[in-house]
Amino acid sequence: MAVAAMTAARRRAGASAALGAFLVSATALAGADASATDAERLQVETLRAEIASQLQLQAYDLVDELVYGWTQRPPFGEPTPVLLADVSVPVGFGSGLQALLENHFASVILKNARSSVVLAHCPMCTQLVVHSGARGTVVARGIDAPETLAAAGGLSGSRHALFLDFEVEGSALVLRARITSLEKSLPIVFARTLSTSTASPALLRSPERLKSADEARQEYLDALQGRSPLSFPIRLGVRIYGRGNNQVLAPPFPWLSGGVEAALTQARAWTASFLVGGNWMPGLGYGLMGQARLNRLLTGEVASLTRPDLYAFVGLAVLSISGNAALTFRSDIPTLAELQAAALGTELHTAFGAVQLGLELRAKNRVGVGAMVEWLPTITGAPMIGDYWSLGPIHFQSFGAEVTFCF
Amino acid sequence: MDPITFVLVFFLPTLAGRATDPSPGFFHTKEEARTMECVRMSQTEVHEREPARVPEPPPRGARTPSDVLVCKRRYLSPGERPARDEGILSNLRAEVSAIVQAGSALGEPSTVWHVDAFYPEPAVAQKIAVAARTELVERGKKVSDQVPVLAAGDLSVLGHLLPQEQYPLACARAFAEGALAAQEALLGVMIVDAREAQLHAGVCLEGKWRWLR
Repeated sequence: MAVAAMTAARRRAGASAALGAFLVSATALAGADASATDAERLQVETLRAEIASQLQLQAYDLVDELVYGWTQRPPFGEPTPVLLADVSVPVGFGSGLQALLENHFASVILKNARSSVVLAHCPMCTQLVVHSGARGTVVARGIDAPETLAAAGGLSGSRHALFLDFEVEGSALVLRARITSLEKSLPIVFARTLSTSTASPALLRSPERLKSADEARQEYLDALQGRSPLSFPIRLGVRIYGRGNNQVLAPPFPWLSGGVEAALTQARAWTASFLVGGNWMPGLGYGLMGQARLNRLLTGEVASLTRPDLYAFVGLAVLSISGNAALTFRSDIPTLAELQAAALGTELHTAFGAVQLGLELRAKNRVGVGAMVEWLPTITGAPMIGDYWSLGPIHFQSFGAEVTFCF
Repeated sequence: MDPITFVLVFFLPTLAGRATDPSPGFFHTKEEARTMECVRMSQTEVHEREPARVPEPPPRGARTPSDVLVCKRRYLSPGERPARDEGILSNLRAEVSAIVQAGSALGEPSTVWHVDAFYPEPAVAQKIAVAARTELVERGKKVSDQVPVLAAGDLSVLGHLLPQEQYPLACARAFAEGALAAQEALLGVMIVDAREAQLHAGVCLEGKWRWLR
């Protein structure tokens, strides 16, 4: 059966690998896996689909590079009709990937007329044709028997066939492209091998403005190096303090702050920020704040341009609260005289420091969402402030959530 | 501060860094490590390619130049393709290049080369033949996509011979029947034993078969 399948695809009836037909049958038949269950087959198909999605971009990259090469050194002196005879995908992959690659190749070639390759449509070329003549009966694909195709008038004006062959070789994807002249001896007039390498990531190039790999890489480097080490965050947050001894809950304190953030390394693995801010609560007073933070990237060694990054941070803050809200942080119960003074308009005031510990999720260094806990070392006996979490002498009394926008 | 918190606060960045290390250990099994292919490169070179992922090399005066292990996951894990096919295809470029280098020394500049591959799996055989044809063209040889054809009677006889006898006889028959002309050569790439994953090759030129490897 394997012999028959192969011979049908080659040049003449029985015209396949003439020397090696005898080697084929036994092992090919033995290769069929009759024991695999439907579940196993489904699992393999799912896995292959996942790999194909990763492979697709690298394959696109190779197609782009091939067409870019043609725009620089056209294979023909003038626009020449070429039929896309075959796109073969790596062994083990299905026709889905093949269709994607065909579409991408057609898309790129149509947008790059300088390549001198004009795609031609030739349905008979890839189908089996049968022709009987004085020398016998010929059964072959049209592209393998051009004289038969010419006799049938099926060449559609194209005299060249393009073959794209992709194969996975370890961690590299290799494209072998060749153009065959559709004359009797089928001479190959162009051939080129392109390969991805372990050390080079895929370059995603726009089909309309194909660039060389070097130019695309330089553009990528420029984009990275153009990333300023300074950014200017605006942060909106709220702090909620632990319930105090008498079960009285202090009001949540909103804060709006802004400042500057600096990347301490090119990879933005370490960043530091300094922000000042304030709040105002009708009837309760207002506050001012200054805070400094040191952030460490947890997800990898470099901040990603394509996925969110998680940072941990430690920080120091100084907060100044004026007005009735300052009573929240007092260690003793206000006296009658103090309450009277407040009623007469004398402004109450308190200031304290805070040590922060938290996590922040940043998306492309533009938007961040964070959460933190704060230790207020000087606020020890305030009846309205309790603890969320205690680690020996350290009592985290405040929980904060915040949203940051960077400019 | 309790031990767990201490570890979380002070060692999480270090642990996160270890997670990117491809070697087998806490984060990667040996099977996962086998799916990686790595090359060692100088830090300067990798920094030029990936400035955001690899920091600048240490300043002049550092005693030892540092290097970077650049790793990439293989597209297909071991076992996803038959072992023999995977063995052949993983090294196809290097193997075919060596074969073509040896074979292309034969023949004249005007010789037209044909290529055929003899492998039990037709899809893999096609890959081998395409690789060899492309390599020959890239080395400046005249190459045809045609495959020489023998008569059915020849195939019937050849099927009863050992591989060591098949190829020389088939070569002689192809030349005698005119399937291969005087200025034409056939590069045959094959395995001679179904259990091996090593490619052999020979050249048929003017009716004489020469084993290359």
